[in-house]
Amino acid sequence: MNNTIANGVVSGAPSDVIDVLQFALLLEHLEAEYYTRGTKMGGPVPQSDLPVFNTIRNHENAHVAALIQVIQSKGGTPAPKPNFDFTAKGAVPDPFGAGNYQIFLALAQAFEDTGVRAYKGQAGRLMSDTQVLSAALSIHSVEARHASMVRYLRGQKGWITGDDRGGLPAFAQPIYDGEANVTQAGVNLSALGNGNGGIGAVTEAFDEPLTKEQVTAIVTPFLA
Amino acid sequence: MGDREQTLISSVSDLWEPKSRRDFFKMMAVGGSVVFLPGIATACATMGSMGGANSATAGSGATVTIDFAKGDVAVLQFAYALEQLEADFYSRVVAAFSGSDLTPADQGVLADIKNHEIIHREFLKTALGSNGFSLTPTYPNVNFSNRASVLGTARAFEDLGVAAYNGAGQYLTDPGNLTLAGKIVSVEARHSAAIRRMLSPHTGDFAPNAFDNVFSPAKVAGVAQGFIVDHLAFANAPSTFAQGPNNNG
Repeated sequence: MNNTIANGVVSGAPSDVIDVLQFALLLEHLEAEYYTRGTKMGGPVPQSDLPVFNTIRNHENAHVAALIQVIQSKGGTPAPKPNFDFTAKGAVPDPFGAGNYQIFLALAQAFEDTGVRAYKGQAGRLMSDTQVLSAALSIHSVEARHASMVRYLRGQKGWITGDDRGGLPAFAQPIYDGEANVTQAGVNLSALGNGNGGIGAVTEAFDEPLTKEQVTAIVTPFLA
Repeated sequence: MGDREQTLISSVSDLWEPKSRRDFFKMMAVGGSVVFLPGIATACATMGSMGGANSATAGSGATVTIDFAKGDVAVLQFAYALEQLEADFYSRVVAAFSGSDLTPADQGVLADIKNHEIIHREFLKTALGSNGFSLTPTYPNVNFSNRASVLGTARAFEDLGVAAYNGAGQYLTDPGNLTLAGKIVSVEARHSAAIRRMLSPHTGDFAPNAFDNVFSPAKVAGVAQGFIVDHLAFANAPSTFAQGPNNNG
């Protein structure tokens, strides 16, 4: 948003709101591009799971379009789509290669679980604009649906237990750090797990937010 | 909300038949009412003995009023009402495992969800303290020994929960409470996707729309009332509502 002001564009929204929308747009561009590439003919996804990833791809494209529209309606200029490197500069095998479905699934889980935490972390900055807040919340929960489905395709539970990264490579640990939290609204809920699945269930029952800085650190390796 | 629709339920199978179920929810969502023709009460009582469901008529009990003048507390009370319903539902589902046709894999997922919903309920109970209240759920159209009935109802509850939290967020004034609601709603969405996948694997049904529904408290209460014996009422209900992208709240 600071850039937008510097460019002399008059904004109809508090700077925080546009800043959040631009941040969300970056994440949605990343996801949309990832699934667009991943669902191409001859790609990593087996025929049986294409309906799942075509659906997710369509959703991410719809999120991109919606965010661009909202940013423009607030008088902002949508940031252009950056170039992405889904090998994280060689740290990850090519997720789009035929036969690399498990790699593709692993990164999909990483991006979806990150997306859920990213939107959650920004909700508080949208409280001044209930229309945008409603839209952001309606995307946030769809990202959680995606995450749940992708996790099942990897043989994981749909929810996050403790801060377990579920067999993802070590670079993905920051996506799960903090998820082992058992204190909500100042109350330690550990005892609620007694007879109800233990501490693991207490951590599964609440998804935790990430700050913009934490999310940026997670996605930066995937920017070309 | 002006035209209150009425649905006549003449046989229990009307409630199990998918189209009827959809219409039922749609109709309840606009504040309609359901009239059970003679004989249904008996059938429901029989189902109750089969599946452990309460056969008392929804909305027939004492009035529980959520007063939105209480601000964030009212929103948390509203969430507490839904979590009580969900926790009770899954507890009954798990208790009925031995006589049901749910697969072991189904049962594993449902047992996890039961734990999460109980933890949500007990957390909100603690957070609300003296502002809490106890509701009595009822399930006139659920057969707890039948996979399709259990999963269909679970899907409806989870989707309702997601839309409810998404719609209530705008009424919270404390950012901490908004984040808290966010921590719960994404878990409800994970549940919904899991249930939908069990019903329809390898399809896009786990996330039926690019944008989830955002429902007003009144719309949510209209649906939830069909499963609660107590009469849910609002005082000082919000006069404005910011619709989500689906514009159906």
